[in-house]
Amino acid sequence: MAKRGDLLKSSSHSLLLCLLEQQPMYGYQVIKELEARSEGYFKFKEGTLYPALHRLEKSGLITGSWQTLPNGRQRRYYHITAKGLAKLAQEKTQWHDFLNAVSLILQPGHSVS
Amino acid sequence: MTSELAEYIESIRYTSKLQPSNEAEVLGELETHIEDKLQELTDSGLSEEEAVKTCLRQLGSPSLVARQIYEAYSQGSWKQVFMASLPHILFGGLFTLNWWQHAGWLVVVLSLIAGIAVYGWRHGKPTWIFSWLSYSLLPVLAVGILLVYLPKGLSLLAIPVYIALAAWWLIHIVTQTLKKDWLFSSVMLLPMPIIIGWFLAVSPDWKITTTSLERANIMAPWIGLSFLALGLTIAAFIRIRQRWLRIGLLVLSGIITLSLVVHYAYGQINTPMFVGLMLVMSGVFLVPLVLERYFRNRSKSLAKNTRIDNAKTA
Repeated sequence: MAKRGDLLKSSSHSLLLCLLEQQPMYGYQVIKELEARSEGYFKFKEGTLYPALHRLEKSGLITGSWQTLPNGRQRRYYHITAKGLAKLAQEKTQWHDFLNAVSLILQPGHSVS
Repeated sequence: MTSELAEYIESIRYTSKLQPSNEAEVLGELETHIEDKLQELTDSGLSEEEAVKTCLRQLGSPSLVARQIYEAYSQGSWKQVFMASLPHILFGGLFTLNWWQHAGWLVVVLSLIAGIAVYGWRHGKPTWIFSWLSYSLLPVLAVGILLVYLPKGLSLLAIPVYIALAAWWLIHIVTQTLKKDWLFSSVMLLPMPIIIGWFLAVSPDWKITTTSLERANIMAPWIGLSFLALGLTIAAFIRIRQRWLRIGLLVLSGIITLSLVVHYAYGQINTPMFVGLMLVMSGVFLVPLVLERYFRNRSKSLAKNTRIDNAKTA
């Protein structure tokens, strides 16, 4: 049985793209959002979030840019790119098909959609 | 930032081996995260000490974070693959196409290699440059060989001076390279035993004679093959992300290629020969590693002494 950490690891790119699809975010905000929306189920080792974001950036799926806040602090906001949106759409379809198949087995007669 | 957090960031900086162009940005982002986290934790009622401990725990171990950062940034582009493997391919081509006896081609290839190595060195030392550097040492090696032909009295005087200067130049380049990553020093040194090994195979007495040229002619395809194998190794090295895989690849390729040299030089590999080549390859990897640790510990102890002196002055 896969551990929660393994599940998070294998799906981290999809989850990050999904969050950034809704609005541009900085790293700390991503962690807070992920934790809040999953009701505490998904918790990153916070330092490992940044390599994951940088890998997505290097693949051209997101872009990052520094912004200075009114209080003078700087934050790096990440935005999803067109390539990232296309990839996310593809991954959402795969996830949906997967969940549907699992659901059909766990609860015969019910599907996700 | 507390000393524990500064040490955490420093540990990541040291282990992730980032390019200077990325380092400030990546570590700056991590520092911003730590500031936000500490703010949130102290606002929730934790003491500064407790907040630091919680923050460090939730960040994850510095080695894990650094490894993931290394893997996110280590992979080079195909352009870098081309640039990094070019000297090996050029050198391999010289021998497999049997152009090595044409002074014109030799000068073109060596000039091209030296010229681009200097260009890379002067333009921020990009990662591809490190596979070129030992080829730039070839003119230094060639001068040493030519010294053998001087009249006896002169060569006795010139050779010790040459050895001192050549050793200084090699150590200078190795220490410069170590500032980036000890593994790049090993990449730089890897072709050296192979070049010297082939030279000894064709000229065991260190003098270029007609016999050595004939031997080189016979061995040329194998000499070319060994450099093409190095080119492939460097190409794979640039594309691989995982550090342990990179080290494994270099060690394996170095041992196989040097075994090929010894086999064709002596027609066999016995146990002492194998032990000898293993020692040479260990030197290629362990000397840079040990030197890097030594320089790091020295700079840490210097920084610590400076802090103590400043505290005393204050």
